[in-house]
Amino acid sequence: MSESKAPNTITRRQAGAAMLSAGAAMLSAGALVAAGAPSARAADPVTLKFWVAWDPALPDSKIAQAKIAQYEAAHPGVTIELQNMSFEAMHDKLVTAIAGGQGPDISWGLAEWLGELDRMGALADLTDAVDGWPDKAAIYPNVWTGLAVNGRIKAVPHYLGIRALLSHQALLAKAGITAPPQSWPELLDQAATIRAKTGKYAFAVANDTVRAPQEFFMLLVQNDAPLAELVPGSGPARYRNNWDRDPAQLRRGTEVMALYRDLLARGAIAPNSTSWGWEEEDNNFALGQYAMVMDGSWMHLHESQYPDSMRDVQITPPPGLRNRRTYFEINPFYVYKASAHLQQATDFAHFLITRDYQAAARPADSPRTDVVGTGKWGTSFSSLAASGVPFPPVALGQITRAMQDAIGRVLLRQEEPQAVAARFGKAVNHALRQSGELAAG
Amino acid sequence: MRHSAILKRQDRIATRSGARHEPGRQAQLRRLAVLYTAPVVLLLLVLIAYPLLRVVWECVRYVNLVNPTVRGFAGLDNFRTVLQDDDFLPALRNTMIWTALSVAGEYVLGLASALALARNVPGRGIFRALIIVPWVIPIVVAGLTWSWMLTPEYGILNHWLVQLGIIRQPIAWLGQPSTALFTVTLVNIWRSFPFYTISLLAALQAVPRELHEAAAVDGAGTLMRFRVITMPHIRTVSLTLILIHVIWTAINFDFIWVMTQGGPLDASETLPIMIYRYAMQQFDVGAACALASMMMGFMASIVFVQYYAARARRPA
Repeated sequence: MSESKAPNTITRRQAGAAMLSAGAAMLSAGALVAAGAPSARAADPVTLKFWVAWDPALPDSKIAQAKIAQYEAAHPGVTIELQNMSFEAMHDKLVTAIAGGQGPDISWGLAEWLGELDRMGALADLTDAVDGWPDKAAIYPNVWTGLAVNGRIKAVPHYLGIRALLSHQALLAKAGITAPPQSWPELLDQAATIRAKTGKYAFAVANDTVRAPQEFFMLLVQNDAPLAELVPGSGPARYRNNWDRDPAQLRRGTEVMALYRDLLARGAIAPNSTSWGWEEEDNNFALGQYAMVMDGSWMHLHESQYPDSMRDVQITPPPGLRNRRTYFEINPFYVYKASAHLQQATDFAHFLITRDYQAAARPADSPRTDVVGTGKWGTSFSSLAASGVPFPPVALGQITRAMQDAIGRVLLRQEEPQAVAARFGKAVNHALRQSGELAAG
Repeated sequence: MRHSAILKRQDRIATRSGARHEPGRQAQLRRLAVLYTAPVVLLLLVLIAYPLLRVVWECVRYVNLVNPTVRGFAGLDNFRTVLQDDDFLPALRNTMIWTALSVAGEYVLGLASALALARNVPGRGIFRALIIVPWVIPIVVAGLTWSWMLTPEYGILNHWLVQLGIIRQPIAWLGQPSTALFTVTLVNIWRSFPFYTISLLAALQAVPRELHEAAAVDGAGTLMRFRVITMPHIRTVSLTLILIHVIWTAINFDFIWVMTQGGPLDASETLPIMIYRYAMQQFDVGAACALASMMMGFMASIVFVQYYAARARRPA
């Protein structure tokens, strides 16, 4: 009996020892591979993780994929590994992936993320690389400025989301209006007539999603009420909202809040639209449910979906307050500092803003001065590029939420514009303090 | 005689041998048991224990993703940040309303439908199969579909309500601070009550029919039989259902996020939404962990109280 058990025991022990040995061997092999990694990598094929947020059903994504395939063919050692997701999902995934050291090499993104990604130390400094690109000058100069933090370029432009006033000409004509409004008071004056003559509302604003802060920001810029001002000084850039110190700025901020109130009170916007996001705003405009909207050139994509209601759309500069500047959404490609293939990722980013790629994939909204779309969707927007103002490069997560909160307080709770403006100014500084970007004093 | 002597000798040898090898075999079995359970233990440690401990650790540390200058031990500062936040008390109130109304509504609807389906009605099998449909629909799909149905511009529900004369004009159910939380709660009840139905139906079927028959013979009415016979029999199942749904509902994030993202104006913001905002919008991981720890402690307390209360009720 004992004789028959002994071999079994030995076998299990041997098996255990073998497993331990195998584990140790694997660890040793891993260590050896890691030690020899740099020399091995140089010869290895490179896979770049590229996160995108395109709609796979739309033609521009197919064109982009074809162009990327061409890039891979021209660079046999480089494979582009695409991962498609919505912008909302991408933001959260980027934050967690970067915190965990597992971010992509390059990604799409929103302009609003520039400050926070830079504060996380995630973005590669592309200044030297961009300076060496022969076609740097082909990009609008204010685009490079908009993508710089502390004078260093931290992203590559992808497309421009310049905002213009889109209006349904047929609805305006039915209301007896011959030209779109030049100013916001003029738009307010036209609202009642449009409603009476067409049964439609004159305008729509967003109070949800990323669109709401963008529209709000444009109005602040138009009324000379800075969201956050750069405070000169040495060291990292510091900002402050000065509405609490400058009564004129607070008054101008209050006027913007009052404009939101008046749009609702004077029937320019539908009462049920007070919680709309970008989808409701875009779709309802494309369907001709209201007359005018501040929107971007991507609206041309709706022409094929709703040809009848989109046929009469005309594009003009935005109505103005103190000036007629507009929001300049510089949609970027972000290249990540932690990439194991930073050089290849930077080269690929350069490819994405070449004339060849841009002319094919972004003909209507390219950041290149030599790629200007034809027709109303091209020239009408590109002509506004010089008057565009981007968000300041601060961490905007909490600030954009405060912007939505301010709009909601006026539209949904009918709070006094001045109180809302004062509260908003404090909220901006609170957010800047939390992100370590508030100027001292 | 010789045969019995041999047997006795074999017995002695076997006894001596068993006595010598029994502890060794048990130790070997223990080692094997440890080896076989090790992967599961490792998985639990890595996937559950480590993240939980990390959350507890980071709630007493300054961790801000966009402000690298703030680092180190925070003591109770993160808890102070949460408790002093203007949004905390409204979010706590919303969480309580959302949880209480959801669980109460789900229980009432689940019990009513279980009682109806326990009866021998025609098509009972089909109804039992159909009633589970809301529960098997993914939350995101259910949330988006309801959002569309509730839209004031094109939503079918608004259309019906206007056609029936119940409301004069379409209402932005998810877009008004006064209606958003209650609307999401109703949709949550719709989605979750089938789980109660199935569980309570199983419990109802275990109630001995003879008890009802005897009580009926003694003159007990339907309500009396329900109160005295049915309810005591389904009490354990009911308490378990309510307990787990209080926890599931209070920590639910996805339903509210899909339908309102906590808006408008934070009107439907609950504590899990607030945790998300701390971490992903304010990048204040320390505060997010502090609030998560507070919720975790509260939920654990509920479980302990229920456990000890149930144990105290048990006969000695």
